[in-house]
Amino acid sequence: MRRRTYLDRQRRAGLLFVLPALAYFSLVFLVPLVESVIASFYRTVPGGASRFVGLRLYEKVLTDSTFWQSVRNTLTLLAWSAPATIVLALIVALGLHRLVSLRWRSVWGAMYFLPFSVSLVAAALIWQWIYDPVYGLLNYLLSLVGIPPQKWLQSLDQVLPALAVTNIWVRLGFDTMVFLAGLQSIPGEYYEAAEIDGATRWQCLRRLTLPLLNPQILMLSILELIFNFKIFDQVYATTQGGPAGASQTVIMLLYDTAFKYFRLGEASVMAVFVFATLLAVTLVQWRFLRRPVEY
Amino acid sequence: MRRLTWSHLTLPALILTLALIPGAPVAQTKKLVYWTHWEQNPDFNKWYAERGREFAKKTGYEVEVVTVPYQGYEAKYLAALIGKSGAPDFFNGIAHQWCGQYDFCDPMPADLARLWDESIPRYMVPIGKWKGVRYGTPIEHGNFQQMYLNADLFKKAGLNPDRPPKTLDEWLSAMKKLTSGDGASGVVGFAIRHKGHPVGITDKFLPFAHAFGARMLSPDLEKATGFANSAEMATALQFFVDLVQRDKVASLALGGPEDAFGQKRAAVIFRESWFFGWLRKNAPDVTFKVAALPCGKACPGAGALFPWTNLVYKNSPNKQVAWEFIRSISNAKDDLAQHESAGILPVWTANLESAYVKSRPDYASTQEMLKQPVPPTYFHPKSNELATAFGEAVVNALYGKGQPKPLLDEAAAKMDKILKD
Repeated sequence: MRRRTYLDRQRRAGLLFVLPALAYFSLVFLVPLVESVIASFYRTVPGGASRFVGLRLYEKVLTDSTFWQSVRNTLTLLAWSAPATIVLALIVALGLHRLVSLRWRSVWGAMYFLPFSVSLVAAALIWQWIYDPVYGLLNYLLSLVGIPPQKWLQSLDQVLPALAVTNIWVRLGFDTMVFLAGLQSIPGEYYEAAEIDGATRWQCLRRLTLPLLNPQILMLSILELIFNFKIFDQVYATTQGGPAGASQTVIMLLYDTAFKYFRLGEASVMAVFVFATLLAVTLVQWRFLRRPVEY
Repeated sequence: MRRLTWSHLTLPALILTLALIPGAPVAQTKKLVYWTHWEQNPDFNKWYAERGREFAKKTGYEVEVVTVPYQGYEAKYLAALIGKSGAPDFFNGIAHQWCGQYDFCDPMPADLARLWDESIPRYMVPIGKWKGVRYGTPIEHGNFQQMYLNADLFKKAGLNPDRPPKTLDEWLSAMKKLTSGDGASGVVGFAIRHKGHPVGITDKFLPFAHAFGARMLSPDLEKATGFANSAEMATALQFFVDLVQRDKVASLALGGPEDAFGQKRAAVIFRESWFFGWLRKNAPDVTFKVAALPCGKACPGAGALFPWTNLVYKNSPNKQVAWEFIRSISNAKDDLAQHESAGILPVWTANLESAYVKSRPDYASTQEMLKQPVPPTYFHPKSNELATAFGEAVVNALYGKGQPKPLLDEAAAKMDKILKD
């Protein structure tokens, strides 16, 4: 019998350490995911019998105009929110990074991070009040400079940009912290060398900072994509998908389909669609945007 | 450190033994759990718990009331009823959904069902039934919309609140006189429902549809095309849309219609009997009167899209006790006491001429609406989904996303698909 080497023991210990996380992941994510995929092929009555229907539910969902409208809404909201959040977070992080006083950097950082720690529903309700056409703070401020009141969340055209602002407010702090951590890990010598070579600030940002922040930019792009694609709480609490379905997102439609109309099969198809889309886009982002970074 | 001795172990062991022995003299609270999403009527809900304390003296079971927020209540109910554990013993729900689309309800004992059938007004008899079997006890008489009008705003506009408009033409003319702005500044005539889930929007539009002689589904509830998109329905929807877009007597700038009426930003709202209690509590300074809904080609009559009833969960280990509790409150006295506490119309016919009901501002209008023919009902297991498809057409038309007829055609086709599926 072969004697166990040190490496074997290390491997075994490593496996044992990973096991709880693996078990948790399998139970909480993997099993429901597999169940969801299976459910998408069955017409299910909750508490009743299930019937295998093959791809019929896929055909039904993927030819439904309401579903595609919700996909369009989700993508529009994503397009309004994600790039703006990442760019603003980078600007804020660069500003904070330039602050010499660590205390002030922490204070400002905490202020930006605060909205991220607020419950999404609570944040949504606060913004609902801010946007209220009659009593809202925003219209009051606009009235002070002579701008007529806007309908915001009750307008077909303004509802998605208005929700995007809420998203940016919620997510800005988190993204800023990630960028700040990335900036702090870039060795100062690089900038000193660039300065000696006569690089301008803009050149430093473009040729040095941004390439070295590539892992953070990639990670945040993926996270923002996932967050915005899965958005539910804020929309549900503020507009419930209105007005006239203008802010109904895929996850909201999924929720209604599962729990209001009790069509678990169709809801599973939507869940599979969201999963597949996110997986595909993430892989594409990973493949084409990732650059190896070495300090 | 002190050593562990037998004396240290004796007390915990004794407690554990007492807890494990059945019938041991450890105080145990037995509870019947009741779930409701009627968050707007806390006094009504609290009454079950109060009455449960008396019930406990005889049976040992108290009633615990759990109020589930209305928004998203279906998901919570469904998760609990499928999961069985953590589910209520009885709950406030719609029979054709929870007993029709699913099989979550316990049929009512025959003698109790007979008592209810004989004790409630004629139009309410189908409420709480599915395929002729009674599952639930109807909980709200007057679960149909009536016209609440702000008497002061009527007088200010030169209208007599004691002579409310009877026809849709008179009503529209009154709304025009009452309107002095868009609600944000000035007053609008009518507080229209345009926000929230399309199901609620359908509910608020149906009285108009019925007044125009339209109906959402065929009488056998098997077809939508030809009904949801009929010429009468298109005319009704055009009338509804015109209130906002052409006549400007209703505004999309206002939020919830109840708040708009309570804040005196709107002069008229269509709501059910519970709104009397809500106003009394939340807007006591509003002087209001209640009138029957205006009639067009037909009168809207006493009908409801949401026939709320108390249902017993068939998998509850306490279902017999739940029925006993319901039996104990199935009498005219309790019916009156509970509904009076919350400002809602009682359910039992015997109470319809009580001093409380006669003193309510909706006494005459309720009588008037009950005399009208019963309007179409849509007690279909998929009523939520059907009403959503229909409501989407209504709200899209309100927001100018299309013309009423094509939107209704699209909705009807979608509803037919749902019905066939």
